Amino acid sequence: MAVIAQPPPTQTHADVTRDVVGTLSTATPGYYLMLFGAVGLFLVGVVTFTLVLRDGLGLAGYQPPIFWSVFITTFVFWVGIGHAGTLISAILFLFRSPWRTAVYRATEAMTVFAVMTAGLFPIIHIGRQWVFYWLLPYPNQRYLWPNFKSPLVWDVFAIGTYLTVSTLFLIFGLIPDVAAVRDKASGWRKQVYGAVSLNWQGTDNQWRHYSRAYLYMAALATPLVLSVHSVVSWDFASSLIPGWHGTIFAPYFVAGAIYSGVGMVLTLIIPLRRYLRLEHMISDYHFDNMAKLTLFTGTILFYAYGMEYFVAWYSGNTFEQTTFWRRAFGPQWWGGWTMIICNAFVSQLLWFRKIRTNLTSLFVISIFINIGMWFERYVIIVSSLSNDYVPYAWDVMTPTWADWGILAGSFGWFGMWFLLFAKNFPIVAIQEIKEFIPMPRKHAAHAGHH
Amino acid sequence: MSDEREPSSEVSRRRFLTVLGTTSAGAAVLSGCSTEKVEKLIPYLVQSEDQVPGIPTWYASTCTECSAGCGVHVRVREGRPVKLEGNPDNPINKGALCARGQAGLQGLFNPGRVRAPMVKQGGSWKEISWDDAIAMLAQKVGAAGGKLAVISGAGRGSYSSFLGDWAAAAGGRVVRYQPFDLEPVRAANARVFGRDEIPAYDFGAARYIVSFGAEFLETFGSSTEYQLGYAESHGFTQGREPAKHVYFAPRASLTGLNADEWHAVVPGSETSLALAMAGVLLQQRGGSVSGMPSVSVDEAAKATGVSAETITRLAKEFAAAGPSLAVAGGIGSQTAGATELCAAVNLLNFAAGNVGQTVRFGADLDHGDGFGALEGLSRSMAAGEVELLLVQDANPVYTAPRSTKFGEALAKVPFKVSTGLYFDETAAACDLLLPSHHALERWDDLNPRSGHWGLMQPVLTPVFNTMAPGDILLKTAQKAGGSLAKFSAATWEAQLKSTWQARFPGGDAMWRAALARGGMYQEALVAQVKVASAAVAPAAPALEGTGEFTLLPYASSLYFDGRGANRPWLAENPDPVTKITWQSWVELSPDAAARINVREGEILKVTSPHGSVEAAAYIYPGLRSDVIAMPLGLGHTEFGEFAKGRGVNYLDLLGPVAGPFIPYVSVKVQVERTDGYRKVAKTEGNTRQLGRGIAEAMPLAHAAKGMTVEQSAKAAGHAAHEINTPRELEALQGWREGQVGRKDGEGRRLGNYVGEHPMWGMAVDLSRCTGCSACVTACYAENNIAWVGEEQVMRGREMSWMRIERYWEGGTDGEPVEARFVPMMCQHCDNAPCEPVCPVYAAYHTPDGLNGQVYNRCVGTRYCANNCPYKVRYFNWLAYNQKAFPEPLNLQLNPDVTVRARGVMEKCTFCVQRIRGAQHVARLEDRPLKDGDVVTACQQACPSRAITFGDMHNPDSAVLKVKQDPRGYHILEEINVRPAVTYLAKVLHSEPVAHAAAGGEHN
Repeated sequence: MAVIAQPPPTQTHADVTRDVVGTLSTATPGYYLMLFGAVGLFLVGVVTFTLVLRDGLGLAGYQPPIFWSVFITTFVFWVGIGHAGTLISAILFLFRSPWRTAVYRATEAMTVFAVMTAGLFPIIHIGRQWVFYWLLPYPNQRYLWPNFKSPLVWDVFAIGTYLTVSTLFLIFGLIPDVAAVRDKASGWRKQVYGAVSLNWQGTDNQWRHYSRAYLYMAALATPLVLSVHSVVSWDFASSLIPGWHGTIFAPYFVAGAIYSGVGMVLTLIIPLRRYLRLEHMISDYHFDNMAKLTLFTGTILFYAYGMEYFVAWYSGNTFEQTTFWRRAFGPQWWGGWTMIICNAFVSQLLWFRKIRTNLTSLFVISIFINIGMWFERYVIIVSSLSNDYVPYAWDVMTPTWADWGILAGSFGWFGMWFLLFAKNFPIVAIQEIKEFIPMPRKHAAHAGHH
Repeated sequence: MSDEREPSSEVSRRRFLTVLGTTSAGAAVLSGCSTEKVEKLIPYLVQSEDQVPGIPTWYASTCTECSAGCGVHVRVREGRPVKLEGNPDNPINKGALCARGQAGLQGLFNPGRVRAPMVKQGGSWKEISWDDAIAMLAQKVGAAGGKLAVISGAGRGSYSSFLGDWAAAAGGRVVRYQPFDLEPVRAANARVFGRDEIPAYDFGAARYIVSFGAEFLETFGSSTEYQLGYAESHGFTQGREPAKHVYFAPRASLTGLNADEWHAVVPGSETSLALAMAGVLLQQRGGSVSGMPSVSVDEAAKATGVSAETITRLAKEFAAAGPSLAVAGGIGSQTAGATELCAAVNLLNFAAGNVGQTVRFGADLDHGDGFGALEGLSRSMAAGEVELLLVQDANPVYTAPRSTKFGEALAKVPFKVSTGLYFDETAAACDLLLPSHHALERWDDLNPRSGHWGLMQPVLTPVFNTMAPGDILLKTAQKAGGSLAKFSAATWEAQLKSTWQARFPGGDAMWRAALARGGMYQEALVAQVKVASAAVAPAAPALEGTGEFTLLPYASSLYFDGRGANRPWLAENPDPVTKITWQSWVELSPDAAARINVREGEILKVTSPHGSVEAAAYIYPGLRSDVIAMPLGLGHTEFGEFAKGRGVNYLDLLGPVAGPFIPYVSVKVQVERTDGYRKVAKTEGNTRQLGRGIAEAMPLAHAAKGMTVEQSAKAAGHAAHEINTPRELEALQGWREGQVGRKDGEGRRLGNYVGEHPMWGMAVDLSRCTGCSACVTACYAENNIAWVGEEQVMRGREMSWMRIERYWEGGTDGEPVEARFVPMMCQHCDNAPCEPVCPVYAAYHTPDGLNGQVYNRCVGTRYCANNCPYKVRYFNWLAYNQKAFPEPLNLQLNPDVTVRARGVMEKCTFCVQRIRGAQHVARLEDRPLKDGDVVTACQQACPSRAITFGDMHNPDSAVLKVKQDPRGYHILEEINVRPAVTYLAKVLHSEPVAHAAAGGEHN
């Protein structure tokens, strides 16, 4: 595979600050249109959820034995999306991968908002939403404690930890950049940015502590990339449902999560780069690398899909065999094939450099990835549940408006936060970009702020 | 407490509580509605002796849902009847109770009841007082001048005699009409044996049972009694050859599905078959019946489509078994020639020596006057010969086919009075409604067979402003005077009591004893009969019309003649055969469906010479390809919110009735596809068990040798259903020791199984289970299970803690279809997968081995339901509890069981409230719990006695003995969840049809 070299920096430190801070300038009508769209979708979700609260989960398409469906699918989808951010910002930081710099802020923001979105679903999906806090271990007069054997409690901790750490990591990385914005801002905005930047001055002492701490945070976040989605996968793997009960699940889910996360990054960054005019900072080099990561994880998925079918056949277990046979040829065959085609096959197109570096094709592929990964979870959850042990109880389901309403609301909620973030905070990490710019010699005295 | 109370405009809770349940309040005239919300809590000043809060009181009574006369025990809590159970003292049902009987409570508390006397004025209904109503009726009786008639569906008893006397005194006549009255059986008995009666059938004594379309496990005669006997004779007991059961009918009804052989004969051809069998039998025995027409086996084979060898073989088997039993007269084979068929079957029984053995004359089971009598009255009505018509407990406007024009005849009667409980089609056509008490609200008796008298007593204050029909007649008589003045008893209660005192010796002691036992039960003497006439016309009757299919309307085992249609417990209890709820459907065989290219749910238009109906198609393998079958009982135009406008009434397709009974199988119909589609609200998913060993069966030869399911499969050369490999078992051993094996009480994590606690377990004998679904309704009644309605059932959201799974075996490539029924309820696994996954410990294990569910801790993650391999957990997706118990149905709710709210999971509890109740009683009596103290609701109801429940730690418990039967197996044993329910494999008189290959696709 040919390697695209990192383009030499063409800017000065001052240019970087100017360009990035420039993205925060007054929003265009197009931005507001998108923001209103996102808020509108979010409100659709709010209204749907209100009705679900009033009448019950029966408004959604649940059809026993399918006791989990679109809500849990969407939950896992958003948790998965959340994985690319930390992978890119933390693991690639530790591995000193230079291509992460230009994109990590956007992916990290995406991570936080995706996990924030996912975090809503355990509440939305339970039957008595108003007592969701019973899932938390808190001291109470009844001496009741959650059941730590339950993977759902593991989930609470996994998601809680991940949200905390990724939020801290995002805020931490923002400190010097927000300081840069503060320096360009005026009035009340200066006050706000000043507060967020924790009065960052950019002294050597501060930088020394900052980079140590950042390394530490990266190290802390790294295991979470693997652990969180492993835990989510154990929701399924530790059950006895054929199609869920597999040892392959943790690595399979982590690979899938990164695959879907990078897919979502591409979906977000390709238009964003154009809109914010960041072409010179986010280049073919970055896309090429992200595409390769996608290809890698997509290939792991390909293997995992194949292995699931192989194990089902090789195990001689009639329950597994029936489940997988029906996944491909049963009443919901379309879901099974959507997942295989979008994930296993479409990702293989990325072997071609032309496709990797063509933003249009990359964008289209990223959409396929998003669809495919949502369907992967839908298929794993719904099609496995629809035909487990007792054939008399088998059934299939069709999602209803309530399912779609909540799904749309989750995209609105996510989009709303992402758009607000992109317009109010540097979406590209100023200080890390600058690290790649050689120190100017002649005009050292005029070097801008960090 | 006084006998008479002043009518008051309101009924306080206190009054409600004090009056009800007493043994002397039945005749009290009450007005006002006891269901109105009463907010005040008033304590008893003087507590009634038999009303202790929290302690149930039991009253013996008699079920009136059909004319069989089963005895019931009514469980009354705080003055409200909350559960009906079979009365073990009653020799008819011996403690069992069918689904319809269970649902009697929903008849009592039905919102569709007529709540007060009403008169039709200018097309609308106006409530009037009882005094005015009685006065109006008395005036009309006087004015009718003898042109008075009564149609009564009431069972035989003191009341029906009184009614007869009353009508005669008024110069009128009574027609006792009830649908499915077995008129052909009586007519044939009258002809062949000279006895116009329905005999008792002893299925328990029969060693070989041949049914010519008689649905004796469903709607034929005294079906609960028959089922008890059938389970005894046909169920497997080691050391005894079980009776074989052969079924001849165009459609395999539930009875047919339980048969060891079902032969899909040409509709109407059964007569020649019975005669041919009798011929073979006589030939073999060397006897003869003079005058019996001779039908050769070949002729019968030609007529029926059953091969000559089969007929000969079955006839010989029938002859060899003694005593045997042949029955005929079911609705699904009631052609115009049904009397001939019954006569032929009489001869067959006579030739086999069964008459006097398994067919006992002298019992004289209750029956009405037959459809012919109704038709006769209808003609008089149409001719204007009836001025005043009184309709009681009958709904002829609905149950008589439309083309008999009963409705038009009714319209010709100037004044019609209904004393029915419900606002049904007939009540709607009447002018005056005098609503009767329900059987549980009044004093009454029934005489369902010779020597057997069942008593009824009021167990609660009447729910509505109603009156006992006896009192209506008495008051009317006293008001009208004249020839009626002789009916001078103060109350019906007093009259009934004096009738009993005259009927039986023993005075007051007798009365009390009879009340406690539910009646007086004397065995009728068996009457000796001889053949009076052996004339039978063997030819199949001609069918009307030119359609491709013969129409086969059949009686629904749940809705019966339609009277069950207003009970949600029956509507939501899936039809035992098709598993469809709430709807009407049209059954076609797979061949027929392929021929006219129709799939399940597509709306078919069925046209006969007399009308057409539209309903969704259901493809049923137990049906001839040249017939279509449809269940009766739906398509009401009135009859309350649960029945009105639901489904279609297939009686509309039938023609005018010429003979003494309705020939249900009499028309040919045209079937066309329409563009419509309606999802079939059925509760089954896949119809095949895919070799998963859920409903196991083994041949009789293997069961007799004491083989296990595995040994039987091996011996039959099938691949044994693999449970665990030796290595898996080795691995499991360690787990078992860790969990339950230690005797010292340490190291156990799943309940104190080896301690002094009981360990509850259940066993279900599939060789006895017929799939009748009585247990399902019993479970709904006991456990406050909400019904969810048709639309939610379409989404698979029914809440039936107990369901009867029905799997097909065979039925493809010309193999006979075999049905396997499996009652499926929470298996209370020792190693329950639902428990560890619950994040809040709502699913947990009790020390006595129950799989508990804490409703108020449940947050509704539904992980437990996902992880349940048996799929026996049910989720409250919507607020079903707010819809399922509209007033006054809520009065039935069992106070011992939580009504579950939206958002929580629920499931079978092994009737934990009964376990704890029995433990409390044992504690109060200072004794250990005995085996049999705890009886679950399903076990109690089961007319097959297929369910055993008890403490597996008690070495003498019945459940432990049943569980040690070699036929015992656990469903899904291989996943090591260690269920507490053991199933005993079904026993087949032949090889199991197929061990369907695993992993196949059949949906």
